[in-house]
Amino acid sequence: MYLSSLRLTNFRNFADERLTIPREGVAIVGDNGQGKTNLLEAIYYLEIFRSFRGAPDDQLVRFGEDVCRVEGLVGGAGEARTIAAAYDRRARRKKVTVDGVEPDRIGDALGRVGVVMFSPADVALVSGSPAGRRRFLDIVLSLTERHYLEDLQRYRQILLQRNAVLRAGESTALVSAWNPGLVRAGSRVVAARLRWVRSRRDSFAARIREIANGSDAALEFDPSLPLDEEESGDDLDRVVATFESELARTADREQRRGATLVGPHRDDLRMRAASGGHGEWVDLRVYGSGGQQRTAAVALRMVEADTLRERLGSEPVILLDDVFAELDVGRSQRILRWVDREAPAQVIITAPKPADIELRGGALPVWSIRGGHVESL
Amino acid sequence: MSLIERLTDEFARLPGIGRKTALRLTYHLLKVTSQEAHRLADAIVAASENVRPCETCGTFTEVSPCRICTNERRDRSIVCVVEEGPDVGAIEATGEYRGLYHVLGGRLSPLDGVGPAELNVNSLLDRVSGESPVREVVLATNPSVEGEATAMYLHRLLAPLGVRVTRIARGLPVGGDLEYADGVTIAEALQYRRDL
Repeated sequence: MYLSSLRLTNFRNFADERLTIPREGVAIVGDNGQGKTNLLEAIYYLEIFRSFRGAPDDQLVRFGEDVCRVEGLVGGAGEARTIAAAYDRRARRKKVTVDGVEPDRIGDALGRVGVVMFSPADVALVSGSPAGRRRFLDIVLSLTERHYLEDLQRYRQILLQRNAVLRAGESTALVSAWNPGLVRAGSRVVAARLRWVRSRRDSFAARIREIANGSDAALEFDPSLPLDEEESGDDLDRVVATFESELARTADREQRRGATLVGPHRDDLRMRAASGGHGEWVDLRVYGSGGQQRTAAVALRMVEADTLRERLGSEPVILLDDVFAELDVGRSQRILRWVDREAPAQVIITAPKPADIELRGGALPVWSIRGGHVESL
Repeated sequence: MSLIERLTDEFARLPGIGRKTALRLTYHLLKVTSQEAHRLADAIVAASENVRPCETCGTFTEVSPCRICTNERRDRSIVCVVEEGPDVGAIEATGEYRGLYHVLGGRLSPLDGVGPAELNVNSLLDRVSGESPVREVVLATNPSVEGEATAMYLHRLLAPLGVRVTRIARGLPVGGDLEYADGVTIAEALQYRRDL
């Protein structure tokens, strides 16, 4: 997939910018605060209709304006498609259209561009809280698994209701009325996560070896339910049975604590690395060095790109936001080699100075950005 | 406040009516004859004063018990439990059901402060227990997250009373498209498949 044009209206510091984006991509240089990340944020907005940095939609609207809008023309295996997203701050309403038609639900239009975003903030995927890693899983799976988002939303709704009953200290009969729905929706979420991690484990390890010059690392699912990752057989049936028995086991405790204690809302991903020569493995979240954590975060994004490529049947657009600022030269070079190898993927990369980018033999067109205005150099 | 504003405000309080529609309704009524306006006002007042929930099943009715509850030709051994009054109309319109009804007046939703005490649950249990002719209770709450939980809860209360408790079937809508159905719907349609 590739983005052939982009129009930004009152989005962050852009008043009205129309850009024609080269098929191979572009390198965008500019000082901090000129709008490099904002531009990538706008592109990613067309993928998930939210800010990749978790900013509320209100903040995306240019100061003093009411409505922001992003429109992109996306080309790919099929024909070209126009995707647009607008947010009205006063009406608190978001409008998404695909070729001018509003989908029944915004969720139906997710992932139409096919984008992977690499950001310096990604290090929090490794070093931060489990919630950030669940969000990562949820975005990847919502974009690639057909009914994942519906299952997840249903699960969250039931969880809220069930926790409200528990908080109010109601009878077991009232609490357990929510169990079948909780188990049904939640097990589908867990099974999808389990399948994804299992299918991506090897490529994660391979990416780490590639970027970090031979180091060993592993990606593991750390589910709230006691599931054996290795065990095969029908995942969903196994998860359902485990979820039911765990709810029964924790019933007394959750009454006392006033909240549901087991389920996908407590899942986590674990990344570990071989440490020293003694065959010991350490959790990168706790014991990883800054460099190891950043490497693992990049590898996770690469694995996300693999997942999207398989779903789309073509290369996703790769956005790299100043990613080399905190990586050593060797790692940066090896990441750039990966990006080069991903050709014909379109790549949009930002950096403070032109010299920071040696991509595709320096053949990438360079744009400068200043105060929300883009010019080609 | 002007009379126009007052009327518009009243309309805007109604479900599904926004400010603009309320204004349109107000200006429409300003153009009709006084006789027509009175007919509308009288209809609202008459309905509000004379329609009450049926003492037996909870359906809105002018005579209590309602015409369905007192109809000798209906099957008194089966009671269909629905969330709201309009659901009775939807099932009646099919002409496929000959039993009685029980209107809960909502569904369990702890987040909205709706528990069993806010619903017509006790009256349902009273109808089913003791010397009751009821042999089967059909739970026809909506297939939503809350409707399902309500059905589960009622099942738990009704099962010990020795009555058959059934749940309306779920699955693909007639004339629907498998490709566009959501995952849970397809999964359940497969789970509850039947022999032809």
